[in-house]
Amino acid sequence: MKEVAPTVYIVDDDSGVRSSIRVLMKSVGLPALPFPSAKEFLEAYHPRNPGCLVLDIRMPGMSGLELQQALNERGAVIPVIFITGHGDVPMAVEAMRHGAFDFLQKPFRDQDLIDRIQQAMARDAETRQSLQEHSRIRARIASLTPREQEVLELLTSGKANKMMAQDLGLSQRTVEIHRAHVMEKMGAKSVAQLVRMVMDLEYRGTPPER
Amino acid sequence: MPSREIQALLDAAVDAIVMIDHRGTVSAFNRSAERLFGYCADEVVGRNVNMLMPQPWREEHDGYLERYARTGIPHIIGVGRDVEGQRKDGSRFPAFLSVGRVADSDPPRFVGFVRDVTTERLALAGIQAERDHAEIRRREEQDARRLQERLTHVSRMATMGEMAAGIAHELNQPLSAIATYARACERFLESAEPDLPETLSSLAEISLEALRAGEMIRRLRQLVSSQPSERAPTQVNELVRDLSVLMQADARVHRTQIAFDLAPTLPLLQADRAQLQQMVLSLVRNAIEAMSDAGTTGRQVVIRTRRLPDGRIELSVCDNGPGVSAEMVDRLFMPFLTTKASGTGLGLAISQTIAQGHGGTLAYRANEPAGACFHARFNPVEEPV
Repeated sequence: MKEVAPTVYIVDDDSGVRSSIRVLMKSVGLPALPFPSAKEFLEAYHPRNPGCLVLDIRMPGMSGLELQQALNERGAVIPVIFITGHGDVPMAVEAMRHGAFDFLQKPFRDQDLIDRIQQAMARDAETRQSLQEHSRIRARIASLTPREQEVLELLTSGKANKMMAQDLGLSQRTVEIHRAHVMEKMGAKSVAQLVRMVMDLEYRGTPPER
Repeated sequence: MPSREIQALLDAAVDAIVMIDHRGTVSAFNRSAERLFGYCADEVVGRNVNMLMPQPWREEHDGYLERYARTGIPHIIGVGRDVEGQRKDGSRFPAFLSVGRVADSDPPRFVGFVRDVTTERLALAGIQAERDHAEIRRREEQDARRLQERLTHVSRMATMGEMAAGIAHELNQPLSAIATYARACERFLESAEPDLPETLSSLAEISLEALRAGEMIRRLRQLVSSQPSERAPTQVNELVRDLSVLMQADARVHRTQIAFDLAPTLPLLQADRAQLQQMVLSLVRNAIEAMSDAGTTGRQVVIRTRRLPDGRIELSVCDNGPGVSAEMVDRLFMPFLTTKASGTGLGLAISQTIAQGHGGTLAYRANEPAGACFHARFNPVEEPV
């Protein structure tokens, strides 16, 4: 996997708006890639590429909202900042409902856009880091034996060794050995930490296919 | 009584000739006079000439003679005037009377030439009536044209109003780009090592974007201003292309694609540019709105021009929206009929009037596989062979 630097992706069918944002990004030293249509962006973009997306909400062909949905379906986590015109508030609300990072009305103050982009980039980095963390946890869970996974499940649901032994029909001693293996393989220093790892994972849901 | 020669001369004359003395007593009455008045000379000679006149002249004529005898000031002699004659049967006719005084006669004797001007008058009246009619027609046409102009203007304004969102959006684009470029330039110049090439190219972009906004406004003004109605040989394709910026603006907002399928060569059309543009705009707007209201996906409007086998020019606007329901088809062009919440219901009616005003037609057919298709057909300007 080739690492790509965090990039500001710009999708706007209007060449003036598109390239002016690209130039603005250049003026603040942010790498930017412009695309004239949602389709061209989708063809070129891979969800693992970090950064943020500046997206015109109204476009002929695939609209900004439709692109956002397509990205959601692909499990892309890239934050989306919508650029809207006058009277696009209902669309902006719709976009926010589907997890848009923010929206800006045209014409916007450059500093507002830059601020939003920087916040979005920070959020993206954070998200990607925690996703990486999740996949590490997931990999660790996968390394557990079926018996150890059962122990993990009971352990995180708050059962004591004695009850686990009863549930699993094992001796308390055996359960203790499994439990020690689980803690070690998961890299957890305490049960509390283990619970947090698993809960975080469940809260986040299934990660995108990589 | 006149001599035989003179009588022959009198009788040969086309005009009626009546001679009288200073009291108005008729002394000669020629053939033409007999034919004109329906009296025999015998019935008139020796009697007062006023028997040949209707009232009030009949009563006043002796007075005229008396006044002339008293003052010597002629009123009719040598001038002639339009009078009325009265025939034996009592009917009247318009006549031109010229009177001369017999030289050196004292008391004076007079000779009158009477010409029936009924036919002339009728002809004149006919001409006048014709003129009046033509004038009325001209005024009616002028009024109709003015009304049409007003209506086209109003409908154009209404269309513009409906398109306002798209136009605002379209103006916002260059403004937004300009603002962003300008701020980028400032940042470049503020930095320790200014990126001059990028700054320069941004400045160039700024002026391009400003021109773009200006062009948009220019086109808008052109369309909104009430242009005088005038016909000139027009390139239909060019007329359509000139609208493209505006239509695209509207289409963008409604996420519709506009495609042009224009015949490469078309004969000229004798047309009122503003009116035809209004027709096209109105049809395109209808298409966009119909699809937008119906939530059609992959909305597309195709504007097509082509030459029909019979030589006519066809301009069509087709969409892939819901089309027109069977019960609406017959009433499509009726004024004030609208399915839109904010429509005037005049768009199609006016468009049809415009097409007909150009000697053409505007009709509907269903589009294949789906949608509506409005096609206007016109006879081109005669091509020189």
